[in-house]
Amino acid sequence: MSARIELSAVSKSYDGGARAVDAIDMTIEPGEFFSLLGPSGCGKTTTLRMIAGFETPTDGVIRVGGADITRVPAHKRDMGMVFQNYALFPHRTVRENVAFGLRMRGMARAAIARKVDEALAMVALTGFEDRRPGQLSGGQQQRVALARAIVIQPRVLLCDEPLGALDKKLRQSMQFELKQLQKTLGVTLVFVTHDQEEALAMSDRIAVLNGGKVEQVGTPVEIYDRPATRFVADFIGDTNLFRGEIVPAGAGVALKVSPELVLPLPAAPAASGLVSVALRPEKVRLAAGTDANAITPGTVESANFQGGHVLYRVALPGNRHLLVQSRNDGSGAPLPAGAPVSLSWAPADLVILKD
Amino acid sequence: MSRAVPNLMGLALLPSALFFALFFFLPIGLMAVMSFLTGNPVVMPNVVATTRHYERILEDPFYFEVMWTTVRIGLWTTAITLLLGYPLAHLMARVKSRSLHALLLMAVLMPMLTGIVVRTFAWMALLSDKGVVNQLLQGLGFAPMQLMYNEFGIVLGLVHIYLPFMILTLTGVIGRIDERLEQAAQNLGASPIRAFVEVTLPLSVPGILAGSLLVFALAISAYVTPILMGGFQIMTLPILIYQQISANFNIGFAAALGMVLLALSLVLVVAYNHILAALSGQRDLQ
Repeated sequence: MSARIELSAVSKSYDGGARAVDAIDMTIEPGEFFSLLGPSGCGKTTTLRMIAGFETPTDGVIRVGGADITRVPAHKRDMGMVFQNYALFPHRTVRENVAFGLRMRGMARAAIARKVDEALAMVALTGFEDRRPGQLSGGQQQRVALARAIVIQPRVLLCDEPLGALDKKLRQSMQFELKQLQKTLGVTLVFVTHDQEEALAMSDRIAVLNGGKVEQVGTPVEIYDRPATRFVADFIGDTNLFRGEIVPAGAGVALKVSPELVLPLPAAPAASGLVSVALRPEKVRLAAGTDANAITPGTVESANFQGGHVLYRVALPGNRHLLVQSRNDGSGAPLPAGAPVSLSWAPADLVILKD
Repeated sequence: MSRAVPNLMGLALLPSALFFALFFFLPIGLMAVMSFLTGNPVVMPNVVATTRHYERILEDPFYFEVMWTTVRIGLWTTAITLLLGYPLAHLMARVKSRSLHALLLMAVLMPMLTGIVVRTFAWMALLSDKGVVNQLLQGLGFAPMQLMYNEFGIVLGLVHIYLPFMILTLTGVIGRIDERLEQAAQNLGASPIRAFVEVTLPLSVPGILAGSLLVFALAISAYVTPILMGGFQIMTLPILIYQQISANFNIGFAAALGMVLLALSLVLVVAYNHILAALSGQRDLQ
């Protein structure tokens, strides 16, 4: 029932202008929850709209379940879609909205009624059948849009920032519900979002897009812990970025950020000369006082108590700074500004990036 | 402070309220009064109340004929402007390119920059018995056709003049319908035509309604075009009213005919509203 989606060298440009999508290659596995993540203008929505058939690629081929659908019109693609603003038909009731796709498929009235009831039950909207979309809350409209998309039992479900208009609490509960529903139905789901937390929380795999190109495709853990490029490291979560020269250090190599700051590297990188590295704030261990075994000493500049953890900004030798996220272990108030600290981390946590 | 604002708003509305009272309600009120008097009380001292003007309209089938002709011309004009205007309005509301939109808008508005009389004379040059079209037909060996001095000519002239009103009204309404609704319908398996019929068409009913009423009201009260294109062969209510005032000096009867024209459009407006509201299932339109 679910299908594989393959994009090969898909490009889209408008009126001969800049490429909104630039030679994208990706394969979305059957039954996968796949997110397209990136800032606005990165081409994620255009990519989704090309899969849906609302835009025609300027170049490249899109295959679903092995069949080339690049030129197939939208209404013959058999995909469900949840639009950003839900796009519910305002002149139709909830029941009529959900029944629409089944009616277009020429299904018998009794079967439609049964399927609509099932779909509405699945999104917990039984009893709202005769309301108009305008009489529903944002969350309820969202569920109607979802029910309308899944009732046709599509091979592929496309979601364009479906949770964007909901408040934070509702958003979180809808994230769980949507994920649960997707697993139950086993449908291939392509999810467009600019919210990295949402993408990390829900996806099986994420494609990070920037400027119409794919920066990295990977599982949420891979994307977070092993960002491939400077953009991905910077876009996903808080991160410390350093740029320096690769120099030999003892048996291995190190990154010379400045004469005063030399950081040991896990392995010799493929690149030579200047490289960028990323270090997540929570991977750094911070200890009060000086320690000769630490990677580098530092001085607390400010401490930001955030409940579960403390976010320190630490001054490093050579006028550099490091964000350190330290777990609140109940040992009392955060270290004051000016306190000397020693910082250490596993060399493998230092991720070498492509520019 | 908070009370001063509504007062200011009220003050701002005063000019338009005065304008309406002076130039809308007062004349219509006067017309209503005159339609029940035997003559003009300003120039005749022994004027009495009467219903004879209305009796005359009801008794003579000629006046029914005139009314029906007027309404028929209005209906044809409305139907044709709607059929011609809707596709263009849809295109204008949906076109992506700004320059193409500007070009279309200019094409729609351009005719309005020329006076009605000038445009009607242009039609006459084309359509009269010895006009361009008939000369061409005869040159090609066809028999000449009666293209004006009939209802066809009047409707053609009126369609040309009132089409922009229909297009502009429809464009505004269609432009406010979210394009993604049609896409959602297509995504659910509706062909582009089906998506239009199921979604955009019913949602544009308010525009169809507004445009039709505007064009219908303008068409049944049109005077210049029916006279020039009809050449007094076709009698409509506005022409009849004008004749009663300027040739027969029968102001009371002219006022009664004016009231009939007003009542006719009001009845049709209400009926049309109900029919379309029922068709589209939008009860809030009524």
